[in-house]
Amino acid sequence: MSRRILAPLTCLAAAAALTACSADGGDGGDGLTVTANSTDRVPMDAVVAAFQEANPDTEVTVTYADTDQLQSTLRTQLSSGTAPDVFTVWPGNGNPAAVELLAPSGYLADLSDMEFTSRIPEGDRPVTEYEGATYVVPVTYSGIGVIYGKEALADLGAEEPTTWSELIDLCGTARDEGVSLLALGNQTPWVTQLVTYALAGTTVYADNPEFDEQMAAGEAAFADSGWQTAMEKYLEMEEEGCFNEDPLGTSYEASVSNVAQGDAVGLVQVATTLSQVQSEAGDTELGMFALPATDDADQTLMPGSVSAAYGLNAESADSAQATAFVEFLASPEAQDIYATEGGTLTALPDEDREIDPALTTLTEFQTEGRTVPFMDQRWPNPRVQQAHFTVVQQLFAGDVTVEEALTEMDEAYEAE
Amino acid sequence: METAMATQAQSATPAGSKSPPRSPKGGRGRSGRTAVPWWFVLPALAFFAFAALVPSARGALYSFTDWDGLARDYAFVGLDQYRALFSDGNARSALGHTLLIAFAVTVVQNAVGLLLALGVNSRIKSRNVLRVFFFAPAVITPVVTAYLWKYLYSPQGAINAALDSVGLGAVGQDWLGDSDIALWSVVAVIVWQFSGYSMVIFLAGLQSIPQEIYEASDMDGAGPFRRFWHIVRPMLAPALTINLMLSLIGGLKLFDQVWVMTQGGPGGATDTLSTVIYREAFQFNAFAYSTAMAVVLTLFVIVLSGVQYGYLGRQEKRNS
Repeated sequence: MSRRILAPLTCLAAAAALTACSADGGDGGDGLTVTANSTDRVPMDAVVAAFQEANPDTEVTVTYADTDQLQSTLRTQLSSGTAPDVFTVWPGNGNPAAVELLAPSGYLADLSDMEFTSRIPEGDRPVTEYEGATYVVPVTYSGIGVIYGKEALADLGAEEPTTWSELIDLCGTARDEGVSLLALGNQTPWVTQLVTYALAGTTVYADNPEFDEQMAAGEAAFADSGWQTAMEKYLEMEEEGCFNEDPLGTSYEASVSNVAQGDAVGLVQVATTLSQVQSEAGDTELGMFALPATDDADQTLMPGSVSAAYGLNAESADSAQATAFVEFLASPEAQDIYATEGGTLTALPDEDREIDPALTTLTEFQTEGRTVPFMDQRWPNPRVQQAHFTVVQQLFAGDVTVEEALTEMDEAYEAE
Repeated sequence: METAMATQAQSATPAGSKSPPRSPKGGRGRSGRTAVPWWFVLPALAFFAFAALVPSARGALYSFTDWDGLARDYAFVGLDQYRALFSDGNARSALGHTLLIAFAVTVVQNAVGLLLALGVNSRIKSRNVLRVFFFAPAVITPVVTAYLWKYLYSPQGAINAALDSVGLGAVGQDWLGDSDIALWSVVAVIVWQFSGYSMVIFLAGLQSIPQEIYEASDMDGAGPFRRFWHIVRPMLAPALTINLMLSLIGGLKLFDQVWVMTQGGPGGATDTLSTVIYREAFQFNAFAYSTAMAVVLTLFVIVLSGVQYGYLGRQEKRNS
């Protein structure tokens, strides 16, 4: 082979080898690598900028990926030793990249000795710990409720409903005015769970706060529990015309647009969706209320839990840069930046912090201890959540009964 | 007349479809002339083995373990994953959908592709523009077309709006949300995207048929149908074989379009083996189980395409 060809090839090979060295993650080398969910791009970028301002010598590379891609890539990286230093970890269980799945395999560093662990609210400890040790730094707190346009609700001559009867009446009022009270995008699987969660918060946990523990002990089941009431009320809302037409053909994006364009008054969503609705709706003033499930307003509970959380790669535990970044994520400064940019609440409470008025209700419920963790965070495996997605779609298609749906969820709960 | 046409067709077999000369013993000889191409193939074969064959074989080994894709160790469990697979209702349902999609896509895509090829092989002035127009969807990434169609299929989307605007609003459907029609809506997208691809292969076959044969058939007084049946059909056999093979394999492996448009929903109505494999591996952490499923899918593809290839090969020989 001529030298003219060999020379560039040699350079190329050398460049590839060098690139491979510098791309090696998890060793806390020259730079810090972070992987986050693409929905958190704006707040994470802001936090990284603040961190780099305080640590100008540290180069931080952040990779963003959608939930599916992030979960599948992360597992490959972890098992092959190429995972980033700090990465998104889902609180609790029931998810392929959740604390209770990654910690037992030894992929997460134990953060119990860090200062922030004493500031984690008692109610959130179960979803940040595994066998008594803390494995993630919780960053945001979110809740599930009805995000709505205040003007749209006022146009109906109504106020936030606080009881089930008021809610059903309001559905009729909205329908008579030619709009839907709630946009529902059940074509997108993860959206299917939100209304059930919002209803089950009250129908399951108001009377039986120990339900999750009873499920884990095999003393309770979805069938014949408050879940049955929640599912039945979900279908009743559909029958009463609370939702837009064809929820199974409507995606999450379309449901957000329905609210922004005034075709629906609001939608049942996680609080983090507020910023997306706001960006599409312009200057419209938004609010959020808990979805009532009974006629006793005092009984209403709201699903609320740690939303975004980050873990430290066990192989990066000795890296000063990586531990400094994790500690920074727990600082009041970073928590404030993250929550402000993401339009949500901080996971580590800060009484001095100013809160988005739209999140007032969620804050009140959090402060009064009237929240329950997102249900899937307490489930033993990801199959239960998937079964939940599937059966809700089947319920809306009329393919299964509520009893059959709950039996399927119970079977998924029992699966290994 | 038929005999004359058949003889001419035989003598004018396209050069591309002729078999290479064989040694007296029936196989390739060991002479230097035939041995050289094997040396040429070796580098590519070595790379293919390194990048595809070896990892696939190693991956298949996991189907005999209980590995969850994360744990640092695992145990061999024999055929347990395969036993679980055959008693899994979701997998059976997904297999049914996969076979249905593969069959529908193979038949409809090739029928449409053949009609398009016959159309643009005629002497109409706009044939070149039409060829580009029909082939264009095939060069777009399937994920992009799937997002486009997801929007078009939405209840307030362009399809229902168009039907409404011409007074056919009652025909409008919840195309992806109705579990009875969602699967067919997905099939329609694949047919729309890849019929042009089949068309190009058929077109290549059509253009390799010598003009003299058509002229001879004209002189024999053959009409368009007889000409298609006795000349075009047998001489398109190699193109048909390739098209049927590719569309069948594509249909069996289908993932992208389903995942983007429905993620297997509503309620599992469009789940295919590939979407179930993905979910088992990356959402349920059942890596070994999903590998067993992938092995079964691979065997399905090999067996079905082998049977199809054997049958079509015999048909080709009979035609020639």
